Amino acid sequence: MKLWQTVRPYLSGCVRFARISYLEVKSDNQGTHLGLLWVPISTLIFTAMLALVFRHSDTMPLAGFFLYVLSGYVFWNFIAESISGSTDIIQKRLEFAIHNNLSLAELFGKLLVDRLFVYFLNLVPLVLFTLILIPENFGPNIFLFAPFLLLAVVTSLSVSYLINLLTVFFPDLTALIKVGTRFMFFASPVFWGVADGATGARQLLVQYNPAAYYLDLSRQVFGIQPFVGESWVVAAIISLVLCVIGIIAFRQSEGFVRNVR
Amino acid sequence: MARIDIQDASVSYFLRKRGGIGKSTERDAVGAQIIVGRRYLEIAALKNLTLSLKDGDRVGLVGVNGSGKSTLLKLCAGALAAQSGTVTIEGKVSPQFRLGAGIRPNLSGRRNAELKCLYMGRPQRSIPKYVEEVKALSGLGGYFELPVETYSAGMRSRLVMSLMRLVRADILIMDEWINAADASVNETANTLQAELIGQSSILILASHSQRVLSEWTEKLIWLDQGEVRAMGTVQEVFPEYQKWTGKRK
Repeated sequence: MKLWQTVRPYLSGCVRFARISYLEVKSDNQGTHLGLLWVPISTLIFTAMLALVFRHSDTMPLAGFFLYVLSGYVFWNFIAESISGSTDIIQKRLEFAIHNNLSLAELFGKLLVDRLFVYFLNLVPLVLFTLILIPENFGPNIFLFAPFLLLAVVTSLSVSYLINLLTVFFPDLTALIKVGTRFMFFASPVFWGVADGATGARQLLVQYNPAAYYLDLSRQVFGIQPFVGESWVVAAIISLVLCVIGIIAFRQSEGFVRNVR
Repeated sequence: MARIDIQDASVSYFLRKRGGIGKSTERDAVGAQIIVGRRYLEIAALKNLTLSLKDGDRVGLVGVNGSGKSTLLKLCAGALAAQSGTVTIEGKVSPQFRLGAGIRPNLSGRRNAELKCLYMGRPQRSIPKYVEEVKALSGLGGYFELPVETYSAGMRSRLVMSLMRLVRADILIMDEWINAADASVNETANTLQAELIGQSSILILASHSQRVLSEWTEKLIWLDQGEVRAMGTVQEVFPEYQKWTGKRK
C-alpha cells in the first residue's frame, strides 16, 4: 500500500505526459487523412526500403530480414531522438516548461515520455508483423520487455541530460552531435548484422558501439534474435554507468546550468 | 501555506564570449555589472538579496531596465538558480513572464487549452468543460479552432488571458504584460487577474506603472543594479523612485 502511494504520483504524471504526447503528435499530423498513423506508416515505408536495398545475403529470408531491420529501426529512432533531440532542451524549452509548471527534471521526464510514445506507436506494426511472419519465435522472451524498457528509459534519460549539458557549455557540439548521430545510424547494426558475414570493421562496430547492444536487446525480446546473456550484462553495465554519471551531472549542474546563455 | 525565503542570494547570468568583448564592460544608465571571465561574461543580475514573503503578501517590483526585476521573478519561479545564498520556495508557483510563453503557436486555441489543462494537472474528464469555458471567456468564436500563429496580437492576448482561468497557484509571479491588449481585453483580463490574485497566497508583480502597482500590490521593492534600494508601501517608494528616475534624465 505504501509502495503504491509512493509510485502513484509518478504513474499519474506519466499518464498525463502520455496524453500530452498523444495530443502533440496528433497535432503534428493534423490536416492529413491518416493523422497519427503516419508515424508507424513512415517507419514501415523506410524499413521496407532499407530491407529491399540492403538485403545482400541469402542466409536470411526476406521476411526475416525485414523484421530484423524493422525491430532495429524502431529502436534506433528512440536512440537517435534521445541523442539528437536533446541538444537544445534547456536552451529552448525551459521557459515553456516553467510556464507550464514543469521543473527541469520534469521537462526531461516529459520529453522521455514523448520519445516512448512514438516508440510504442512504432512497436504496434513490429508486434503485428512478428506475430504474422514468425509466430513461433514470439515466446517467453517477451517477458524481457520490462527489464529492457527499464534499461532504455534510464539510459535515454541520462544520455539526454548529458548531451544537453555538453551543448550548453560547448555549443559547437550541437552540429557535431547531429552529424554523429547520422554516422551512428550507419555504424550500428540497424540494417546490417554480424550474422550476414560481418568481419573486420563491422565486427569492431558491433563490439565497441554501445548502441549495438541495445539493438540486440530490442530484437531478443521479440524473438527476432536468440537470447544472448552477454548483451544484457553489457547493456546493464553501460546503463548503470550512464545513470550514475547522469545523476552526478544533474546534481552538480542543476544549480547553474539554467543561468548559462 | 506558501512562503518565499531568500537569504543573501546572488544570481548571475553566464554568457559565452563573443565579438566586441572589450566594449561589453562599459557601464551606462541601464543593466547590471558585466564581469569578463576566461570563457564567459558574468552578468551579476542580483547581489546579496534578502527577501521574505509569506501568505497574503502582495509585492510589486520596480526599477529601471536591467535592475534585476525579471531575474528575481525567474529566481522565484525556478527558472534561474542562485550562485550563493539560499532560496526556499514553499507552495505551487505559477509564472506569467511573457505573453504567450506557455503556448504553442502552431496549435489551435482549443488544443492549447487542452494541453494547458493537462499541464496544470486538471482531471482528464473535466477537460472538455474547462476548454469550453476558456472558449467562451476568450470570445474568439471560430478562431478558437485555428492555429494561434494566425491570430492578431489582440486575439492572442484574449486566449492567453482566458487560459489564466486554468491556473491555480499559491505563488503568482507576473511580469508586466497585462496591458498589452485592447480595452475590451483588459476588462476581461482585469477580472481574471483579480480572480487569480484572489486565489493565490503570494503575488509578485513587476511593473513600471504606478496605477498597476497601486491596484494590485501593497508592498513595493525598488531594485537598482541587482540590489534592493528601497522597500515599503507603494505610496512611499514609488514617488521616491520617480524622483530618482527624473534626476537621471
